Amino acid sequence: MTFLMITGRTVNQGVTVEKKTSAAYAEETSTCFMHEFDMLELGLADQDTVMLTGVCGTVVMRAVASGEVEMGTVFVPYGPYANHIIAADTHSTGMPDFKSHEVEIEPTDEEPKTVHGLMEDLGGLAYDR
Amino acid sequence: MIVKDVVCPFCGCLCDDIEVEVEENRVVAVANACELGTTKFMGEERLKGPILRDGDGWKEITYDEAIRYAADTLLSAERPLLYGWSGTHGEAQCVGVHMAELIRGVIDNTSSVCHGPSILAIQEVGHPGCTLGVVKNRADLVIYWGSNPIDAHPRHLSRYTRYADGFFLENAFRDRKVIVVDIRRTQTANIADEFVQIKPGGDYAVLSALRAIVQGKTETIPRTVAGVTREQLVRVANLCKGAKFGAVYFGVGLTMTRGKYKNIRNAIELVSELSRHTKFTISAMRGHYNVYGSNEVNTWMTGYPFGIDFSRGIAFYNPGETTAVDILARKECDAALIVGSDPAAHFPRRCLEHLAEIPVVQLDPYPNATTAFCNVQIPVAVTGIDAVGTAYRMDGVPIRTRRVLSTDYPSDRDVLFQMYALMQEVRGR
Repeated sequence: MTFLMITGRTVNQGVTVEKKTSAAYAEETSTCFMHEFDMLELGLADQDTVMLTGVCGTVVMRAVASGEVEMGTVFVPYGPYANHIIAADTHSTGMPDFKSHEVEIEPTDEEPKTVHGLMEDLGGLAYDR
Repeated sequence: MIVKDVVCPFCGCLCDDIEVEVEENRVVAVANACELGTTKFMGEERLKGPILRDGDGWKEITYDEAIRYAADTLLSAERPLLYGWSGTHGEAQCVGVHMAELIRGVIDNTSSVCHGPSILAIQEVGHPGCTLGVVKNRADLVIYWGSNPIDAHPRHLSRYTRYADGFFLENAFRDRKVIVVDIRRTQTANIADEFVQIKPGGDYAVLSALRAIVQGKTETIPRTVAGVTREQLVRVANLCKGAKFGAVYFGVGLTMTRGKYKNIRNAIELVSELSRHTKFTISAMRGHYNVYGSNEVNTWMTGYPFGIDFSRGIAFYNPGETTAVDILARKECDAALIVGSDPAAHFPRRCLEHLAEIPVVQLDPYPNATTAFCNVQIPVAVTGIDAVGTAYRMDGVPIRTRRVLSTDYPSDRDVLFQMYALMQEVRGR
């Protein structure tokens, strides 16, 4: 199914933002908040893993029901997971479309990667593994 | 020992009433701060010393070696990018601008991916703003548009709006109305007197509709605009016109969606329209504690607030061309210095793929996502915890941060100044 992905700040993202290689930061920023009817439609329970596919790649997250988002929209806290599928085009403003990305979402058996794993996929080398 | 009136170096609120309890040079308790600030003061997982990428591993090096490496790397680059700057003090930002000019680099700060579009709008139509104190004491109507302070600026509501006393308001909680405009029913929406839920991407249309109603052209408005009923729009417009003093605070919900700076321009023009009927102001909810300072320092030193390119020997500014995401995505820069930010966590993946291909030096106290792309990372003192320096609050008020701990870590300014001095020697200045 196609969704509009919005990214933004959450308290838990802010609390863990100085500990970006921690499990708590990874857990928060790899959470895909969805409307419960959308989850029903996809046959998902809380904490089930989902594959998000954007214009420039795929990333695995965990779905969590939220009363804050409307059907057809998902919310992901700012971080490396959402940015793994966000395009870099800024339409000559310097600002990418962090809050207006169309993504395909489907259930998956894969587990979300660690932040280290995502960085190494893109050519980095983890330090404090 | 309890240190009073400490300034919190987390978000743009720069709360200056924090009490920090220190025992044996460790922070053991924090009072008055929100959860975000408390966690930052209590944070302990810092890098011990500079590290150097060595093939498939890392090795520790001295500060002198790291600073020499950084200076050499940046001097030998043709198009170095100096990015970040919001998580450090103004004195360090000053050295950064001098350095960018000397090595003919591009200096950009995190506002290009937060409120850069707001600044573009302000450059077009101006900024009818005011300090937070004015809003606290006078505003009887506050609108949060595309911002969610409960999560992003938790004390904004208690210090300045919903839960704050006001000198000119008899019963501030009762007399001050709060409107929240968002596409999500956030926790902030739940404490509002009026919640306006817009369909994604509909902000511009709703702002235009409100402008039309304020101008007395209600009959031109269709039954719904981006999911908002005409009745609610009229009610909101009447609340605004009926207020003695209104304040709009907008967040990146307006800058990161379709339309970007045009959304902000429309919001500012709505405020101008409302100011024909009553007194209204508008300001951005700035994120990093000193992102406003990076705009101030860059502007008074170069004339431009972010995305400044010195490759021509003079300051050149063209957002979309001279901004960090674009330069990285085009694979244009051949070295990067990152100070006080973490682009690997917050930039799209294409930018990271280029970071992996060029030498990167980072000044940051903590191992973060960008560490994985560094050739060298230099740990520095945290401004507001073990370094002092000037930061600008979200309303443009400069506040001197305090030091609560003594550590051996050098400040950003110290490290940058040593790098700059080495560069000057090589360039014979």
